[in-house]
Amino acid sequence: MRQPALKPGEVVLDRASRGFSVRADRGGTLKELLLRRRSDGPAPIQALDDVTLHISPGQTVGIVGRNGAGKSSTLRVLAGIVPLDSGHVHTGGQLVSLLELGAGFGRDFSGRENILLGGALHGLDRAQIEAKLDDIIAFSELGDFIDVPVKTYSSGMYVRLGFAIAAHLDADVLLIDEVLAVGDEAFQRKCEARIATQVQGGATLVLVSHDAALVERTCERVVVLDAGRVVFDGPSVEGMEYYHRQMDTPTAQSIAAGEQR
Amino acid sequence: MADLKRYRYLFEQMVRRELRQKYQGSALGVAWYIVNPLVLMGAYYLMFGVIFQVADHEDYPLFLMVGLVVWIFFSQALLSAAPSLLDQGALIRKAPFPRETIPAAVVTVQAVTFLVVLGLVAVATLGIRGTIDPALLLLPVLLIALYGFVLGLALIVSVLHAHFRDVAPILSAALLPWFFLSPIFFAPQDITDRAAARFVMEWVNPIAPFIESIRRVLYDGQAPSLTAVAYVLVAAALALLAGRVLFARMQAELAVIV
Repeated sequence: MRQPALKPGEVVLDRASRGFSVRADRGGTLKELLLRRRSDGPAPIQALDDVTLHISPGQTVGIVGRNGAGKSSTLRVLAGIVPLDSGHVHTGGQLVSLLELGAGFGRDFSGRENILLGGALHGLDRAQIEAKLDDIIAFSELGDFIDVPVKTYSSGMYVRLGFAIAAHLDADVLLIDEVLAVGDEAFQRKCEARIATQVQGGATLVLVSHDAALVERTCERVVVLDAGRVVFDGPSVEGMEYYHRQMDTPTAQSIAAGEQR
Repeated sequence: MADLKRYRYLFEQMVRRELRQKYQGSALGVAWYIVNPLVLMGAYYLMFGVIFQVADHEDYPLFLMVGLVVWIFFSQALLSAAPSLLDQGALIRKAPFPRETIPAAVVTVQAVTFLVVLGLVAVATLGIRGTIDPALLLLPVLLIALYGFVLGLALIVSVLHAHFRDVAPILSAALLPWFFLSPIFFAPQDITDRAAARFVMEWVNPIAPFIESIRRVLYDGQAPSLTAVAYVLVAAALALLAGRVLFARMQAELAVIV
């Protein structure tokens, strides 16, 4: 409705805020509904606090920050999985996210079946996925394991399959959250090369990672988050310097926020 | 709606997953979907047809089966839809696909089973009782209405249960007395002659018109009353409407709460 016409690969966060109430029991119960109140717990955490970002098509952006700074929440908001309390989020074109390792993999299903499901989750139809099937299998290096239930996979195999799927869905916007570290070095290099190819093809990358070297290698722009706010947004070399300085000077508030995650 | 079309292949995948996952590794596999209702029907026949003999109907097993198979679809679909969003939390946290596909896939799997079992019962009933009549043409209409009715309710219970975890236990507690109050092993006129009580049994219980009109077509070989056909169509439309509205309003936070 209000969605402005975005170019494929364009990402806009406009004064975005999102809080989470932190409770041990995440699901409500009918009692709380009937009594019209929620059980007590810590105050809500502001995971995104008035965040405004504009990412142009083809840009590579690293999001860094302390634990609990709102990095993963930002990705989940961009991915359209978590709604905002206020503000707007818009992304242009096909959006592919690799947020949790192995999530969505039916454990009793083979790697091949999970490729079909992974594509379907992103709105592809059978013909579109089958056209990519061989590339995905080759990239994952799973060989004969592709027809074995994924419950027998090692975590490295999981991430290889997950990345292979995400990297072949023709993303205009690729969101990746700290999952590449699981693969071995050779596979990591292969992933980075694949990402670079996609970026050259015009795709936008938003990466969350604590791996400073990875961020510096893959991202031209770095956004540093602290307690849900953007505290730095600029070229990655300066951004990582800012981040390292921040790591050396912890504040009481950010420590508390970090521990609550 | 455009979204639903785009995600049609996802829906297909989910139905296949649901079909295979539940009985994966068991010797009978998918056949359990058929065996379970047949065993249940055998048990109920023993109880109400042989031991208690509550009602006097010709070919009582057939009378019972037709109603029972409708009830089993209704109750099993709702019971398996209720926890479905929680069960598929990993998928919900992964991508922003339309969440309705999850309960819809569960209901569809139950509907496929239902059609197979109903097909067996229908062939037996038509063969034994010879109730082949033009009224049979109404059967697809009644079945589509039943599917829509159950789908609408499934959307409601699944999204409610994701928010309030009491919903599934309440549902399974409610279904047992509901079963005994529904005209499955009896017809309302077997129980009471009082008009008010019959009205309640026949029309206040929303599943009753579905059971009675399907039984009327299959077992009696007659067309159901116009009122009954109108009732099931309106009930289906209302359930679907309520389900879609409620689901749309309550689905935004699903990735956070499941």
